[in-house]
Amino acid sequence: MAKKEYTFPTDLFYDGKNHMWLKKDGDNHILVGIDAIGLDTLGDLAYITLKPKGTEVKKGESIGTLEAAKMTGDIFAPVSGKIISINNACVENPGIVNEDQYNKGWLVSIEATEWENENNQLISGENLQPWIEAEIHRMETQGFDA
Amino acid sequence: MHWRLICDENVSASFGLAADEVLTKHIGQGKSIPVLRLYSYKNYSALVGRFQEVESELNVDFCRKKEIAINRRPTGGGAIFMGEDQLGIAMCIPGKSDDNYGRARELMGHFSEGIINGLNSIGVPAQFRRKNDIEVNGKKIAGLGIYRDNSGGLLFHSSLLVDMDIEMMLNVLNTPFEKISDKEVDTVSKRITTVFKETNSHINMAEMRKCIAGGFKSSLNISLSESSFAETEKREIAILEKEKYAQQDWIYQTPQVKDAIGTAKLKTEKGLLDIRLTLAGQQIKALFIRGDFFAGENAVADLEGSFRWHSTNQQKIELTLDKVYKLRKNELASLPLGALKKAITLALNRARVLEKKQSSEPYGCFVTPGGRVHV
Repeated sequence: MAKKEYTFPTDLFYDGKNHMWLKKDGDNHILVGIDAIGLDTLGDLAYITLKPKGTEVKKGESIGTLEAAKMTGDIFAPVSGKIISINNACVENPGIVNEDQYNKGWLVSIEATEWENENNQLISGENLQPWIEAEIHRMETQGFDA
Repeated sequence: MHWRLICDENVSASFGLAADEVLTKHIGQGKSIPVLRLYSYKNYSALVGRFQEVESELNVDFCRKKEIAINRRPTGGGAIFMGEDQLGIAMCIPGKSDDNYGRARELMGHFSEGIINGLNSIGVPAQFRRKNDIEVNGKKIAGLGIYRDNSGGLLFHSSLLVDMDIEMMLNVLNTPFEKISDKEVDTVSKRITTVFKETNSHINMAEMRKCIAGGFKSSLNISLSESSFAETEKREIAILEKEKYAQQDWIYQTPQVKDAIGTAKLKTEKGLLDIRLTLAGQQIKALFIRGDFFAGENAVADLEGSFRWHSTNQQKIELTLDKVYKLRKNELASLPLGALKKAITLALNRARVLEKKQSSEPYGCFVTPGGRVHV
């Protein structure tokens, strides 16, 4: 079987537990989306709902729900803070996430309130490559390729 | 590993759904060991998928007239019709805390294996079909769904057709048919199958549960001990029923992305070809093929099954068609491949136009797709 290849931009942070990506700007505004392995596992997305702008969330709490080819479930906040923007284009056409997950496929923007405490739980920089390799190995040995 | 086995019968729609969710949550929170629940609903319950629209999927007036319960599952997929002859199978397990995604993928295979082993043990040659079905020679016999609870618990759910009152089901679900006559019942009857049909016998539900439990024991290498709901579980189920599954806001919620149906009719040298396709975003959720050509019903069911949750990418569509035609060349000899490709493309394009207009149309889990025709 051909080996799968996944794209993980190196300028992003990753939530290893839930396979979300995070992009931070100078004002602690965090763009959030689903990373390549997360999306591969879910399959193509059919529906997304997102909590409204202004909602305050704790890390690990639901920021919305999704239905993909392989499961339904919550989308989890990778950091604590307030949702300051949601990507309605993706709600209206979840296929955007499958087509361009790291750019047009962002889901929400969160104004992080505990970035200093929470960012060390995220994966980035020199930890990125070993984590990706471990995840791919895990997927190849445990994953169910439907 | 040791699991609980909970068997219950004739449950209400709201209780059945709330019980699955509470068990999943308890397991995610570490309050319970994994559970295999084998149960049946009261005659009858119509359950739409997580993001479906009730009015599009179901004949609500008919359901009200016949006192058929309507509710919404936490799992995705199409509307299902449940009663005393359909076995609900719920496997509630913990999602490893560091492994929410991979765990689900790994276990989806095991989950379907449990059901398949159980069916094989009574002579039903069932097999898994990507992505969410179990079939027998191309005909769907069970649907599968996964729900990941925010506690970390995972619910794998299946509805297994032990038997089915096709006419009643067609009246409950919105279907492509203008009227439900013997012809329509016969068409659907040939596209799906049941345990009764495959075994040519009337296995009772107790035996059915025993064989499915046995299938899980061997495929997951687990032991099962019969259990019932704990008092705390009963209390939480009652609360969840009241606060969620009995609430009109939950049952009748409206999805932001609505399914769109595209149709196409083509005259071919072998007869009329009539295609209905349901589109959700970038996914073909269902394809229904009718016409007056003479093709094997198993092969047509196989074609339809191949397009549940299928990409809309033209190349992938053609690859899938080529693959099925290669396997079932003789059975599909009277259904010209070129015409089918053309009809699917046409129906897909029409569905895309409708999608842009925010049209909403239904399909059912076993009768796909349904609803009124707009193009």
